[in-house]
Amino acid sequence: MAVMTKQQAKKFAEMSDFFLDLLNLLKDKGVINNEEHRVFLLIGYEKLVEHLEKKKVISSKDAKNAMKSGFASLVYSLAK
Amino acid sequence: MYGWAGQRLRVDLTKGDIIKEPLSYEYRKKWIGGRGFNSDIIYNEVPPEMSPFDPRTRVCFGMGPLNGTAAPSTGRVTVSCKSPLTGGFGDSNMGGHWGAEVKYAGYDQIVVQGKAKKPVYIWIDDDKVEIRDASHIWGKFPRDADTMIKEELKDEDIHIMLIGPAGENLVRFACTFNDVYRAAGRTGHGAVIGSKNLKGIATRGSGSVKIAKPKEFFEVCNRLRQRFKNDPMKLALNEYGSLCLINYANRDGWLPWKNLQWGGTPLANNMSGETHSKTVLKHREGCYACPICCGRFTEIKEGRWAGEYFGGPEYEHSVPTGPRVGIIEDANDIWHNARLTNDLGMDGIETGAVISTAMEWYQRGLITAKDTGGLDLEWGNEDVVDQLIQDIAYRRGFGDILAEGASRACDKLGLGDKGQYYTIATRGMALPGDDPRGLGFGYGLSFAMGTRGGCDHLRSLCCLELSGALYPGLNTKYLGDERPAKPTTTVGKPYMVYYEENQKAVVDCLNVCCFTTHWSYAVLTQDQLDYFNACTGLDLTLEEFLEVGERVYNLERAYWARLMSGAREDTVPERFTKEPMPQHVDYQTNVGATLPIGEMLPKYYKYRDYEPGTGFPSERKLKQLGLDYVAEDLKPLRKKYMSEAEKKKKKYYY
Repeated sequence: MAVMTKQQAKKFAEMSDFFLDLLNLLKDKGVINNEEHRVFLLIGYEKLVEHLEKKKVISSKDAKNAMKSGFASLVYSLAK
Repeated sequence: MYGWAGQRLRVDLTKGDIIKEPLSYEYRKKWIGGRGFNSDIIYNEVPPEMSPFDPRTRVCFGMGPLNGTAAPSTGRVTVSCKSPLTGGFGDSNMGGHWGAEVKYAGYDQIVVQGKAKKPVYIWIDDDKVEIRDASHIWGKFPRDADTMIKEELKDEDIHIMLIGPAGENLVRFACTFNDVYRAAGRTGHGAVIGSKNLKGIATRGSGSVKIAKPKEFFEVCNRLRQRFKNDPMKLALNEYGSLCLINYANRDGWLPWKNLQWGGTPLANNMSGETHSKTVLKHREGCYACPICCGRFTEIKEGRWAGEYFGGPEYEHSVPTGPRVGIIEDANDIWHNARLTNDLGMDGIETGAVISTAMEWYQRGLITAKDTGGLDLEWGNEDVVDQLIQDIAYRRGFGDILAEGASRACDKLGLGDKGQYYTIATRGMALPGDDPRGLGFGYGLSFAMGTRGGCDHLRSLCCLELSGALYPGLNTKYLGDERPAKPTTTVGKPYMVYYEENQKAVVDCLNVCCFTTHWSYAVLTQDQLDYFNACTGLDLTLEEFLEVGERVYNLERAYWARLMSGAREDTVPERFTKEPMPQHVDYQTNVGATLPIGEMLPKYYKYRDYEPGTGFPSERKLKQLGLDYVAEDLKPLRKKYMSEAEKKKKKYYY
């Protein structure tokens, strides 16, 4: 199930600083909990991508792309 | 016990007491060491209203669990106190070998309090600790005092922490050295040490540091040493020292020319690492266990300073009394000025900053030769710079006023807001020789937010924007985006600064050199956790590890909050926000840039969970970090900070 709409993904991809907003959205959607929100803020993007892959929120291929091309790729994966 | 020695040495110079205090497992886990141990002591034992020169104040020397091991570049020591320059929280750290020696003697931290009746030094010979007479070395340069103490103790291999004459004379930006040339430069703790009549601490340690999991530990160390072999920043630092930055800084418009009125000079190559290596480099030297070896030794071969020999200079040590004061034609003048500030025991950054500020006051007619005792403060006047460095250290004439630091000097001269505009300082401390309009907007944000005052190139140390481009994929790994690697963009900078501040704080708790973890990114966060866990036998997770950094950062921020310093003081000098960078070099890349600090601050506050009105850490955040007592301390202060009376106060220092 898509975590966000394509329109939201587009908006994210245009943001100049996205990480906190993305974590907030993932928390609101129940993808991560409060504690995970705190933890990923501390430890950064790569660990978030690994978590999303492990939880099967995104595929392995999407995870690879998210690390190669950055968050713009990730947010579109989350809109699939 | 593994990693840590397990005890703190406390020396009370008033009473002559020498006390050894055990450091509990919980305490070590909560603060790790170095900056963490020190910040805890300063917060809890030095009330914000106490004068930095009150005998009851503390000066702390913190080592980390890795000091004295084979992990790369683990020789650093953090020195902390209530800063006499800013009046707020202050710390600085230094390389060399002294930190490892203190660990071998069996201590993780030294806390000095009280005031001796006459000059003394402390002699630590493993578990034997003495307070000895230092009358005969009072007034000496660190290089001479070092030799005299070694002769007195009949041991050339001991390591010694010392202050110079400036510390004895309570110059508010006096600093500390060990191994003669390795300086903890910033925030003026040398004056606090001097106020205690303490000249230095000589140390001999014959013990060792036990490693919990030697096989894993050495595997990590070997992996990292292999990585250093081809690391681009390591190669540059080894070849040219931190002077490798000069031409790069000049191109990108952040080399401070004449008090940062410009971001470069056509003659910058005169003092580049390349030129230094060809002309005056005597030899290279590394600190304890360092694979980089960025240290230089310089011998001036010709001109009026011929024959001078000293350890250094570094970028931040030579730029302030070079281009920042308009000196560039003869690099030997720059090397000489760096040698002089070292010998006299002063922070090179603040020394150059206060002189260059005075020069700009002079340029703009805010002061005249009447104020300066007849000195002609024209840009580039080496005779005057040479004299002023000495007059500051010995507090003579106009130098006595400048010895107070730029912001206080401005007030003493009655120059008001107009004068403060040119001080290029935040919270009472001058910014280093890096113009954020070119160096990077992340750095600019750090300058506003640094928990030791108007620094700081070493607080967030967001090298993800300085050297990030040399490590493709690294910005994405941490921040999810490569665009923040570009210095002059606000993209991704609030999160970059938040991440790097926490990361640098934990590095300072380990007391590992940031040239291995930030400038060079050979030692990544996971590597740091790996060697920490293997060394100590703890099994911290990555989030627990980085949370220590966040805890330290918030504790320091809370210290400022207790001084009524918060959101209104989170600023940078107006020069950066109001004056578009002018062109001074043909190939300069940042012409017209200003620092859009307002675009970054609100988002940064959200990452930090700072209260929007006060800028104080939220109660929720403090409790989350196990700092409930700090949350209680701040409770009554939140309303006070927002009162009309407080809003009217202008706070340049505390």
